Amino acid sequence: MSLATLSIDGPLARLTINRPEQRNALSLELLTALHVRVDELTAMTTPSPERTSAGPHVLALTGAGKAFCAGMDLKAVLGSAERSRRLLVLLAELTYKLRRLPMVVVAVVNGPAIGGGCGLVTVCDLQLTFTDNKMGFPEVDMGVCPAVVAPWLVRRIGPGRARQVLLSGGLMSGAEAHRLGMVTECVPTITDLAPAAEALLAQLVAGSADALRATKGLLNTLDGSEDWNTLEDAAKLSADVLNTPETQAMLTKKLGA
Amino acid sequence: MSDHSQSMGEGELVRLVRQGPLALLALNRPDKRNALTPEMLERLLTLLEAPEVLEARAIVLCGEGGVFCSGFDMRLVHADSRALSKLLTVLTGVVRAMRACPRPIVAAAHGAAVAGGCAVLAGADVVVTDRAAKLGYPVTRLGISPAVTVPGLLGMMSAGGARERTLDSGLISGEEAARTGLAHVCCDQPEDVIPKATRLAQHLAEKPGSAVAAMKGLLARLGSGQEDFELALRASLGLVGSGDQLARVAALWPMPGGERSGPQAIS
Repeated sequence: MSLATLSIDGPLARLTINRPEQRNALSLELLTALHVRVDELTAMTTPSPERTSAGPHVLALTGAGKAFCAGMDLKAVLGSAERSRRLLVLLAELTYKLRRLPMVVVAVVNGPAIGGGCGLVTVCDLQLTFTDNKMGFPEVDMGVCPAVVAPWLVRRIGPGRARQVLLSGGLMSGAEAHRLGMVTECVPTITDLAPAAEALLAQLVAGSADALRATKGLLNTLDGSEDWNTLEDAAKLSADVLNTPETQAMLTKKLGA
Repeated sequence: MSDHSQSMGEGELVRLVRQGPLALLALNRPDKRNALTPEMLERLLTLLEAPEVLEARAIVLCGEGGVFCSGFDMRLVHADSRALSKLLTVLTGVVRAMRACPRPIVAAAHGAAVAGGCAVLAGADVVVTDRAAKLGYPVTRLGISPAVTVPGLLGMMSAGGARERTLDSGLISGEEAARTGLAHVCCDQPEDVIPKATRLAQHLAEKPGSAVAAMKGLLARLGSGQEDFELALRASLGLVGSGDQLARVAALWPMPGGERSGPQAIS
Protein backbone atom coordinates (compact mmCIF):
# COMPACT_ATOMS: atom_id res chain seq x y z
CA MET A 1 0.00 0.00 0.00
CA SER A 2 1.35 3.41 -0.98
CA LEU A 3 2.15 5.96 1.72
CA ALA A 4 0.17 8.53 -0.26
CA THR A 5 -2.88 7.63 -2.31
CA LEU A 6 -4.35 9.72 -5.09
CA SER A 7 -7.74 9.31 -6.73
CA ILE A 8 -9.12 11.41 -9.55
CA ASP A 9 -12.78 11.85 -10.34
CA GLY A 10 -12.99 14.34 -13.22
CA PRO A 11 -12.45 17.84 -11.76
CA LEU A 12 -11.97 16.50 -8.21
CA ALA A 13 -8.76 14.91 -6.91
CA ARG A 14 -8.32 13.36 -3.47
CA LEU A 15 -4.91 12.93 -1.86
CA THR A 16 -4.68 10.88 1.32
CA ILE A 17 -1.72 10.73 3.71
CA ASN A 18 -1.60 7.00 4.31
CA ARG A 19 0.54 5.96 7.23
CA PRO A 20 -2.20 5.49 9.81
CA GLU A 21 -0.22 3.18 12.14
CA GLN A 22 2.17 6.11 12.77
CA ARG A 23 -0.62 8.74 12.84
CA ASN A 24 0.60 9.84 9.38
CA ALA A 25 3.86 11.19 10.79
CA LEU A 26 6.00 12.69 8.03
CA SER A 27 8.99 10.43 7.43
CA LEU A 28 11.45 10.83 4.56
CA GLU A 29 9.61 8.03 2.77
CA LEU A 30 6.16 9.55 3.32
CA LEU A 31 7.27 13.01 2.19
CA THR A 32 8.82 11.44 -0.92
CA ALA A 33 5.55 9.61 -1.65
CA LEU A 34 3.58 12.87 -1.27
CA HIS A 35 6.00 14.58 -3.67
CA VAL A 36 5.36 11.88 -6.27
CA ARG A 37 1.59 12.42 -6.01
CA VAL A 38 1.80 16.20 -6.15
CA ASP A 39 4.10 15.90 -9.18
CA GLU A 40 1.44 13.71 -10.84
CA LEU A 41 -1.16 16.40 -10.16
CA THR A 42 1.13 19.07 -11.59
CA ALA A 43 1.65 16.97 -14.73
CA MET A 44 -2.13 16.52 -15.15
CA THR A 45 -2.64 20.27 -15.23
CA THR A 46 0.33 21.15 -17.42
CA PRO A 47 -0.86 21.96 -20.96
CA SER A 48 0.21 19.34 -23.50
CA PRO A 49 -0.90 18.41 -27.03
CA GLU A 50 -1.66 14.80 -25.97
CA ARG A 51 -4.14 15.83 -23.28
CA THR A 52 -7.64 17.10 -23.90
CA SER A 53 -8.66 17.55 -20.24
CA ALA A 54 -7.31 20.47 -18.24
CA GLY A 55 -7.08 18.19 -15.20
CA PRO A 56 -8.71 18.54 -11.79
CA HIS A 57 -9.31 22.01 -10.39
CA VAL A 58 -10.15 20.92 -6.83
CA LEU A 59 -7.98 18.84 -4.48
CA ALA A 60 -9.02 17.42 -1.11
CA LEU A 61 -6.15 16.56 1.25
CA THR A 62 -6.87 14.32 4.22
CA GLY A 63 -5.33 11.68 6.49
CA ALA A 64 -6.05 7.95 6.65
CA GLY A 65 -7.21 6.66 10.02
CA LYS A 66 -7.77 8.80 13.09
CA ALA A 67 -5.11 11.49 12.57
CA PHE A 68 -4.63 14.05 9.84
CA CYS A 69 -0.90 14.19 10.46
CA ALA A 70 1.05 13.95 13.72
CA GLY A 71 3.93 16.04 12.34
CA MET A 72 7.53 15.37 11.43
CA ASP A 73 8.82 11.89 12.20
CA LEU A 74 11.85 13.16 14.10
CA LYS A 75 12.67 9.84 15.70
CA ALA A 76 13.78 8.48 12.34
CA VAL A 77 16.24 11.30 11.71
CA LEU A 78 17.61 11.68 15.23
CA GLY A 79 21.40 11.74 15.31
CA SER A 80 21.77 12.36 11.59
CA ALA A 81 22.28 15.97 10.59
CA GLU A 82 22.07 15.03 6.92
CA ARG A 83 18.77 13.13 7.23
CA SER A 84 17.13 15.84 9.33
CA ARG A 85 18.19 18.51 6.84
CA ARG A 86 16.78 16.39 4.03
CA LEU A 87 13.48 15.96 5.93
CA LEU A 88 13.03 19.71 6.34
CA VAL A 89 13.95 20.49 2.73
CA LEU A 90 11.42 17.88 1.54
CA LEU A 91 8.74 19.50 3.73
CA ALA A 92 9.59 22.98 2.44
CA GLU A 93 9.50 21.80 -1.18
CA LEU A 94 6.20 19.99 -0.62
CA THR A 95 4.50 23.07 0.83
CA TYR A 96 5.80 25.14 -2.08
CA LYS A 97 4.52 22.65 -4.68
CA LEU A 98 1.13 22.26 -2.99
CA ARG A 99 0.64 26.01 -2.94
CA ARG A 100 1.45 26.33 -6.64
CA LEU A 101 -0.95 23.61 -7.82
CA PRO A 102 -3.45 25.22 -10.21
CA MET A 103 -6.38 23.94 -8.16
CA VAL A 104 -8.22 24.92 -4.99
CA VAL A 105 -6.68 22.77 -2.26
CA VAL A 106 -8.95 21.90 0.66
CA ALA A 107 -7.59 20.36 3.87
CA VAL A 108 -10.16 18.02 5.39
CA VAL A 109 -8.63 17.88 8.86
CA ASN A 110 -10.04 14.61 10.11
CA GLY A 111 -7.94 14.35 13.28
CA PRO A 112 -4.90 15.80 15.04
CA ALA A 113 -2.74 18.07 12.84
CA ILE A 114 0.47 18.79 14.69
CA GLY A 115 3.62 20.74 13.81
CA GLY A 116 4.55 20.05 10.19
CA GLY A 117 1.14 18.38 9.82
CA CYS A 118 -0.54 21.61 10.86
CA GLY A 119 1.81 23.35 8.42
CA LEU A 120 0.34 21.27 5.59
CA VAL A 121 -3.12 22.41 6.72
CA THR A 122 -1.98 26.02 6.71
CA VAL A 123 -0.60 25.94 3.17
CA CYS A 124 -3.95 24.72 1.78
CA ASP A 125 -6.37 27.32 0.42
CA LEU A 126 -9.36 26.25 2.55
CA GLN A 127 -9.61 24.12 5.69
CA LEU A 128 -12.36 22.23 7.49
CA THR A 129 -12.17 20.67 10.92
CA PHE A 130 -14.31 19.91 14.00
CA THR A 131 -14.66 21.54 17.42
CA ASP A 132 -12.63 19.27 19.70
CA ASN A 133 -9.88 18.35 17.25
CA LYS A 134 -6.26 19.00 18.28
CA MET A 135 -4.11 21.28 16.18
CA GLY A 136 -1.09 23.51 16.57
CA PHE A 137 2.63 24.04 16.58
CA PRO A 138 4.27 22.58 19.71
CA GLU A 139 7.74 22.77 18.13
CA VAL A 140 9.19 25.30 20.56
CA ASP A 141 8.23 23.04 23.48
CA MET A 142 10.67 20.46 22.08
CA GLY A 143 13.46 22.87 21.20
CA VAL A 144 12.51 22.80 17.50
CA CYS A 145 12.01 25.90 15.35
CA PRO A 146 8.88 25.76 13.11
CA ALA A 147 10.58 27.93 10.50
CA VAL A 148 9.23 26.21 7.38
CA VAL A 149 5.60 26.62 8.40
CA ALA A 150 6.06 30.17 9.69
CA PRO A 151 5.76 32.00 6.32
CA TRP A 152 2.60 30.06 5.53
CA LEU A 153 1.04 30.74 8.94
CA VAL A 154 1.87 34.45 8.65
CA ARG A 155 0.02 34.51 5.31
CA ARG A 156 -2.88 32.51 6.70
CA ILE A 157 -3.64 34.41 9.91
CA GLY A 158 -1.50 37.57 9.76
CA PRO A 159 1.80 38.33 11.49
CA GLY A 160 0.47 39.29 14.94
CA ARG A 161 -1.52 36.13 15.49
CA ALA A 162 1.19 33.95 13.91
CA ARG A 163 3.71 35.35 16.39
CA GLN A 164 1.46 34.42 19.29
CA VAL A 165 0.76 30.91 17.99
CA LEU A 166 4.34 29.99 17.01
CA LEU A 167 6.01 31.37 20.14
CA SER A 168 3.44 29.93 22.58
CA GLY A 169 3.73 26.34 21.38
CA GLY A 170 1.23 23.84 22.74
CA LEU A 171 -1.94 22.67 21.03
CA MET A 172 -5.36 24.22 20.47
CA SER A 173 -8.84 22.94 19.75
CA GLY A 174 -10.43 23.06 16.31
CA ALA A 175 -12.74 25.78 17.64
CA GLU A 176 -9.78 27.90 18.72
CA ALA A 177 -8.03 27.32 15.37
CA HIS A 178 -11.19 28.61 13.68
CA ARG A 179 -11.34 31.65 15.95
CA LEU A 180 -7.73 32.47 15.04
CA GLY A 181 -8.44 32.12 11.32
CA MET A 182 -6.40 28.95 10.77
CA VAL A 183 -9.40 27.06 9.40
CA THR A 184 -12.25 28.14 7.15
CA GLU A 185 -15.00 26.09 8.72
CA CYS A 186 -15.37 24.25 12.03
CA VAL A 187 -18.21 21.74 12.36
CA PRO A 188 -19.52 20.51 15.75
CA THR A 189 -18.32 16.89 15.66
CA ILE A 190 -16.18 14.55 13.56
CA THR A 191 -19.34 12.95 12.13
CA ASP A 192 -20.33 16.33 10.64
CA LEU A 193 -16.99 16.69 8.85
CA ALA A 194 -17.50 14.48 5.79
CA PRO A 195 -20.91 15.98 4.85
CA ALA A 196 -19.57 19.53 5.25
CA ALA A 197 -16.46 18.69 3.23
CA GLU A 198 -18.47 17.09 0.42
CA ALA A 199 -20.76 20.15 0.25
CA LEU A 200 -17.78 22.50 -0.05
CA LEU A 201 -16.04 20.27 -2.62
CA ALA A 202 -19.25 20.07 -4.69
CA GLN A 203 -19.53 23.87 -4.66
CA LEU A 204 -15.91 24.24 -5.79
CA VAL A 205 -16.23 21.57 -8.48
CA ALA A 206 -19.28 23.42 -9.89
CA GLY A 207 -17.25 26.64 -10.09
CA SER A 208 -15.36 27.73 -13.18
CA ALA A 209 -11.90 26.12 -13.36
CA ASP A 210 -10.56 29.12 -15.28
CA ALA A 211 -11.89 31.64 -12.76
CA LEU A 212 -10.63 29.67 -9.74
CA ARG A 213 -7.18 29.17 -11.29
CA ALA A 214 -6.87 32.82 -12.29
CA THR A 215 -7.88 33.91 -8.80
CA LYS A 216 -5.50 31.53 -7.06
CA GLY A 217 -2.63 32.54 -9.33
CA LEU A 218 -3.18 36.20 -8.52
CA LEU A 219 -3.41 35.45 -4.78
CA ASN A 220 -0.12 33.55 -4.95
CA THR A 221 1.57 36.42 -6.77
CA LEU A 222 0.32 39.12 -4.40
CA ASP A 223 0.83 37.32 -1.07
CA GLY A 224 4.42 36.20 -1.64
CA SER A 225 3.61 32.50 -2.08
CA GLU A 226 6.04 32.26 -5.01
CA ASP A 227 9.03 33.24 -2.90
CA TRP A 228 11.14 30.08 -2.64
CA ASN A 229 14.24 31.68 -1.08
CA THR A 230 12.51 32.37 2.24
CA LEU A 231 11.41 28.74 2.49
CA GLU A 232 14.86 27.45 1.61
CA ASP A 233 16.42 29.62 4.33
CA ALA A 234 13.72 28.49 6.75
CA ALA A 235 14.49 24.80 6.13
CA LYS A 236 18.17 25.48 6.80
CA LEU A 237 17.41 27.41 9.99
CA SER A 238 15.09 24.68 11.25
CA ALA A 239 17.70 21.98 10.52
CA ASP A 240 20.42 23.99 12.29
CA VAL A 241 18.27 24.32 15.42
CA LEU A 242 17.31 20.64 15.25
CA ASN A 243 20.97 19.64 15.16
CA THR A 244 22.07 21.62 18.21
CA PRO A 245 23.24 19.39 21.11
CA GLU A 246 20.53 20.85 23.37
CA THR A 247 17.69 19.94 21.02
CA GLN A 248 19.17 16.54 20.18
CA ALA A 249 19.43 15.72 23.90
CA MET A 250 15.86 16.91 24.55
CA LEU A 251 14.43 14.92 21.64
CA THR A 252 16.39 11.79 22.58
CA LYS A 253 14.82 11.97 26.03
CA LYS A 254 11.27 12.77 24.78
CA LEU A 255 11.18 10.30 21.92
CA GLY A 256 12.92 7.56 23.87
CA ALA A 257 15.31 6.92 21.04
CA MET B 1 -32.16 62.02 6.70
CA SER B 2 -32.28 64.85 9.21
CA ASP B 3 -34.09 68.13 8.59
CA HIS B 4 -30.75 69.89 8.36
CA SER B 5 -29.41 67.71 5.62
CA GLN B 6 -29.05 68.92 2.07
CA SER B 7 -29.77 66.42 -0.61
CA MET B 8 -28.56 66.73 -4.16
CA GLY B 9 -29.59 64.70 -7.16
CA GLU B 10 -32.77 62.87 -6.07
CA GLY B 11 -32.96 60.90 -9.29
CA GLU B 12 -29.24 60.12 -9.46
CA LEU B 13 -27.88 56.57 -9.30
CA VAL B 14 -25.74 57.68 -6.35
CA ARG B 15 -27.19 60.42 -4.15
CA LEU B 16 -25.05 62.88 -2.26
CA VAL B 17 -26.46 64.17 1.02
CA ARG B 18 -24.53 66.74 3.07
CA GLN B 19 -25.34 66.36 6.75
CA GLY B 20 -23.31 68.63 9.04
CA PRO B 21 -19.66 67.56 8.79
CA LEU B 22 -20.59 64.41 6.84
CA ALA B 23 -21.10 63.55 3.20
CA LEU B 24 -23.42 60.61 2.72
CA LEU B 25 -23.08 58.78 -0.59
CA ALA B 26 -26.09 56.53 -1.12
CA LEU B 27 -26.33 53.91 -3.87
CA ASN B 28 -29.76 54.71 -5.21
CA ARG B 29 -31.27 51.89 -7.21
CA PRO B 30 -33.31 50.22 -4.47
CA ASP B 31 -35.72 48.45 -6.82
CA LYS B 32 -32.71 46.53 -8.21
CA ARG B 33 -31.10 45.93 -4.81
CA ASN B 34 -28.62 48.66 -5.81
CA ALA B 35 -27.16 46.47 -8.57
CA LEU B 36 -24.19 48.32 -10.01
CA THR B 37 -24.07 49.70 -13.53
CA PRO B 38 -20.99 51.31 -15.11
CA GLU B 39 -22.73 54.71 -14.91
CA MET B 40 -23.40 54.21 -11.21
CA LEU B 41 -19.76 53.38 -10.44
CA GLU B 42 -18.60 56.31 -12.58
CA ARG B 43 -20.92 58.63 -10.67
CA LEU B 44 -19.52 57.27 -7.38
CA LEU B 45 -15.97 57.80 -8.64
CA THR B 46 -16.78 61.40 -9.64
CA LEU B 47 -18.35 62.10 -6.25
CA LEU B 48 -15.36 60.68 -4.37
CA GLU B 49 -13.21 63.33 -6.01
CA ALA B 50 -15.79 66.16 -5.96
CA PRO B 51 -15.08 69.31 -3.90
CA GLU B 52 -18.47 69.15 -2.15
CA VAL B 53 -17.57 65.68 -0.84
CA LEU B 54 -13.94 66.45 0.03
CA GLU B 55 -14.98 69.51 2.05
CA ALA B 56 -16.88 67.16 4.38
CA ARG B 57 -14.80 65.77 7.25
CA ALA B 58 -15.98 62.17 6.94
CA ILE B 59 -17.90 60.12 4.39
CA VAL B 60 -20.59 57.48 4.80
CA LEU B 61 -21.16 55.09 1.89
CA CYS B 62 -24.55 53.39 2.11
CA GLY B 63 -27.38 51.97 0.05
CA GLU B 64 -31.05 52.94 -0.26
CA GLY B 65 -33.68 50.26 0.33
CA GLY B 66 -33.38 46.78 1.79
CA VAL B 67 -29.72 46.00 1.10
CA PHE B 68 -26.43 47.80 0.60
CA CYS B 69 -25.58 46.30 -2.78
CA SER B 70 -26.22 43.03 -4.60
CA GLY B 71 -23.29 43.30 -7.02
CA PHE B 72 -22.95 44.02 -10.72
CA ASP B 73 -26.15 44.25 -12.76
CA MET B 74 -25.87 40.85 -14.42
CA ARG B 75 -28.62 41.68 -16.90
CA LEU B 76 -26.27 44.20 -18.49
CA VAL B 77 -23.42 41.69 -18.46
CA HIS B 78 -25.69 39.07 -20.02
CA ALA B 79 -26.65 41.46 -22.80
CA ASP B 80 -23.06 42.55 -23.52
CA SER B 81 -19.93 41.21 -21.85
CA ARG B 82 -18.16 44.52 -22.58
CA ALA B 83 -20.26 45.86 -19.71
CA LEU B 84 -18.40 43.43 -17.44
CA SER B 85 -15.01 44.81 -18.52
CA LYS B 86 -16.25 48.31 -17.89
CA LEU B 87 -17.68 47.38 -14.46
CA LEU B 88 -14.45 45.67 -13.36
CA THR B 89 -12.32 48.59 -14.54
CA VAL B 90 -14.38 51.33 -12.89
CA LEU B 91 -14.71 49.20 -9.72
CA THR B 92 -10.91 49.18 -9.40
CA GLY B 93 -10.95 52.94 -9.85
CA VAL B 94 -13.56 53.36 -7.11
CA VAL B 95 -11.68 51.21 -4.59
CA ARG B 96 -8.42 53.05 -5.33
CA ALA B 97 -10.15 56.42 -5.05
CA MET B 98 -11.63 55.42 -1.69
CA ARG B 99 -8.15 54.42 -0.48
CA ALA B 100 -6.64 57.62 -1.84
CA CYS B 101 -9.40 59.82 -0.38
CA PRO B 102 -8.00 61.98 2.46
CA ARG B 103 -11.30 61.76 4.37
CA PRO B 104 -12.24 58.70 6.44
CA ILE B 105 -14.90 56.53 4.80
CA VAL B 106 -17.37 54.41 6.76
CA ALA B 107 -19.34 51.85 4.74
CA ALA B 108 -22.80 50.86 5.96
CA ALA B 109 -23.29 47.37 4.55
CA HIS B 110 -26.77 46.38 5.69
CA GLY B 111 -28.57 43.29 4.45
CA ALA B 112 -26.22 42.25 1.65
CA ALA B 113 -22.87 43.25 0.16
CA VAL B 114 -22.32 40.72 -2.56
CA ALA B 115 -19.70 40.36 -5.33
CA GLY B 116 -19.01 43.85 -6.72
CA GLY B 117 -20.94 45.23 -3.74
CA CYS B 118 -18.59 43.43 -1.39
CA ALA B 119 -15.56 44.58 -3.38
CA VAL B 120 -16.53 48.22 -2.78
CA LEU B 121 -16.24 47.60 0.98
CA ALA B 122 -12.52 46.92 0.54
CA GLY B 123 -12.02 50.62 -0.15
CA ALA B 124 -13.58 51.73 3.14
CA ASP B 125 -11.74 52.47 6.38
CA VAL B 126 -14.50 51.11 8.62
CA VAL B 127 -17.20 48.63 7.59
CA VAL B 128 -20.41 48.28 9.58
CA THR B 129 -22.77 45.40 8.87
CA ASP B 130 -25.44 43.36 10.61
CA ARG B 131 -25.47 39.85 12.03
CA ALA B 132 -27.65 38.31 9.33
CA ALA B 133 -26.22 40.24 6.38
CA LYS B 134 -24.85 38.21 3.49
CA LEU B 135 -21.37 39.01 2.21
CA GLY B 136 -18.94 37.40 -0.21
CA TYR B 137 -18.00 36.74 -3.82
CA PRO B 138 -20.18 34.07 -5.45
CA VAL B 139 -18.74 34.81 -8.88
CA THR B 140 -16.42 31.94 -9.82
CA ARG B 141 -19.54 29.91 -10.61
CA LEU B 142 -20.26 32.53 -13.28
CA GLY B 143 -16.80 32.15 -14.79
CA ILE B 144 -15.79 35.51 -13.30
CA SER B 145 -12.60 35.86 -11.24
CA PRO B 146 -12.81 38.00 -8.09
CA ALA B 147 -9.07 38.70 -8.48
CA VAL B 148 -9.95 42.37 -8.95
CA THR B 149 -10.89 42.63 -5.26
CA VAL B 150 -7.77 40.93 -3.86
CA PRO B 151 -5.53 44.04 -3.50
CA GLY B 152 -8.29 45.77 -1.56
CA LEU B 153 -8.98 42.72 0.61
CA LEU B 154 -5.28 42.39 1.45
CA GLY B 155 -5.59 45.81 3.06
CA MET B 156 -8.39 44.59 5.33
CA MET B 157 -7.62 41.04 6.38
CA SER B 158 -4.93 38.36 6.46
CA ALA B 159 -3.84 37.01 3.08
CA GLY B 160 -5.40 33.69 4.13
CA GLY B 161 -8.69 35.43 4.84
CA ALA B 162 -8.63 37.00 1.38
CA ARG B 163 -7.81 33.59 -0.16
CA GLU B 164 -10.69 31.96 1.71
CA ARG B 165 -13.16 34.68 0.76
CA THR B 166 -12.30 34.72 -2.95
CA LEU B 167 -11.89 30.96 -3.59
CA ASP B 168 -14.90 29.82 -1.52
CA SER B 169 -17.88 31.13 -3.46
CA GLY B 170 -20.26 30.69 -0.51
CA LEU B 171 -21.72 33.74 1.24
CA ILE B 172 -20.91 34.44 4.89
CA SER B 173 -22.91 36.20 7.60
CA GLY B 174 -22.14 39.66 8.90
CA GLU B 175 -21.02 38.04 12.13
CA GLU B 176 -18.50 35.84 10.28
CA ALA B 177 -17.39 38.89 8.26
CA ALA B 178 -16.57 40.70 11.49
CA ARG B 179 -14.63 37.65 12.78
CA THR B 180 -12.47 37.48 9.67
CA GLY B 181 -11.84 41.23 9.21
CA LEU B 182 -14.10 41.83 6.21
CA ALA B 183 -16.19 44.02 8.54
CA HIS B 184 -15.32 45.84 11.75
CA VAL B 185 -18.65 46.44 13.51
CA CYS B 186 -21.60 44.06 13.53
CA CYS B 187 -25.05 45.39 14.51
CA ASP B 188 -27.89 43.18 15.73
CA GLN B 189 -30.39 44.53 13.22
CA PRO B 190 -30.02 45.76 9.61
CA GLU B 191 -31.88 49.00 10.43
CA ASP B 192 -29.19 49.83 13.02
CA VAL B 193 -26.40 49.82 10.41
CA ILE B 194 -26.74 53.25 8.76
CA PRO B 195 -27.32 55.07 12.10
CA LYS B 196 -24.31 53.27 13.61
CA ALA B 197 -22.12 54.08 10.59
CA THR B 198 -23.25 57.71 10.77
CA ARG B 199 -22.34 57.93 14.46
CA LEU B 200 -18.92 56.41 13.77
CA ALA B 201 -18.36 58.86 10.91
CA GLN B 202 -19.35 61.78 13.19
CA HIS B 203 -16.81 60.53 15.70
CA LEU B 204 -14.12 60.37 12.99
CA ALA B 205 -15.14 63.82 11.73
CA GLU B 206 -14.15 65.30 15.10
CA LYS B 207 -10.53 64.18 14.69
CA PRO B 208 -8.00 66.65 13.28
CA GLY B 209 -8.37 66.32 9.51
CA SER B 210 -4.68 66.65 8.73
CA ALA B 211 -3.73 63.78 11.06
CA VAL B 212 -6.45 61.55 9.61
CA ALA B 213 -5.36 62.38 6.06
CA ALA B 214 -1.70 61.70 6.90
CA MET B 215 -2.61 58.35 8.47
CA LYS B 216 -4.74 57.33 5.48
CA GLY B 217 -1.90 58.31 3.17
CA LEU B 218 0.58 56.18 5.07
CA LEU B 219 -1.75 53.17 5.19
CA ALA B 220 -2.32 53.47 1.44
CA ARG B 221 1.45 53.49 0.81
CA LEU B 222 1.96 50.46 3.06
CA GLY B 223 -0.81 48.53 1.27
CA SER B 224 -1.28 47.26 -2.26
CA GLY B 225 0.30 49.50 -4.87
CA GLN B 226 -0.76 50.58 -8.33
CA GLU B 227 0.99 47.59 -9.91
CA ASP B 228 -0.92 45.17 -7.68
CA PHE B 229 -4.26 46.75 -8.61
CA GLU B 230 -3.36 46.66 -12.30
CA LEU B 231 -2.22 43.02 -12.15
CA ALA B 232 -5.41 42.03 -10.34
CA LEU B 233 -7.63 43.89 -12.80
CA ARG B 234 -5.85 42.19 -15.72
CA ALA B 235 -6.41 38.78 -14.09
CA SER B 236 -10.16 39.43 -13.91
CA LEU B 237 -10.38 41.06 -17.37
CA GLY B 238 -8.50 38.10 -18.88
CA LEU B 239 -11.55 35.85 -18.51
CA VAL B 240 -14.18 38.30 -19.75
CA GLY B 241 -15.84 37.08 -22.91
CA SER B 242 -14.39 33.55 -22.74
CA GLY B 243 -16.70 30.73 -23.83
CA ASP B 244 -16.87 29.51 -20.24
CA GLN B 245 -17.81 32.93 -18.83
CA LEU B 246 -20.42 33.60 -21.52
CA ALA B 247 -22.03 30.17 -21.08
CA ARG B 248 -22.18 30.47 -17.30
CA VAL B 249 -23.73 33.94 -17.34
CA ALA B 250 -26.16 32.88 -20.08
CA ALA B 251 -27.27 29.98 -17.85
CA LEU B 252 -28.63 32.53 -15.35
CA TRP B 253 -31.49 33.05 -17.79
CA PRO B 254 -32.47 29.53 -18.81
CA MET B 255 -35.29 30.65 -21.14
CA PRO B 256 -34.03 32.41 -24.29
CA GLY B 257 -35.04 36.04 -23.98
CA GLY B 258 -36.98 35.20 -20.81
CA GLU B 259 -37.74 38.55 -19.28
CA ARG B 260 -39.31 37.50 -16.01
CA SER B 261 -36.93 34.81 -14.82
CA GLY B 262 -33.47 35.19 -13.38
CA PRO B 263 -31.90 37.55 -10.91
CA GLN B 264 -31.02 41.16 -11.62
CA ALA B 265 -27.71 40.67 -9.90
CA ILE B 266 -25.48 38.09 -8.32
CA SER B 267 -27.10 37.41 -4.99
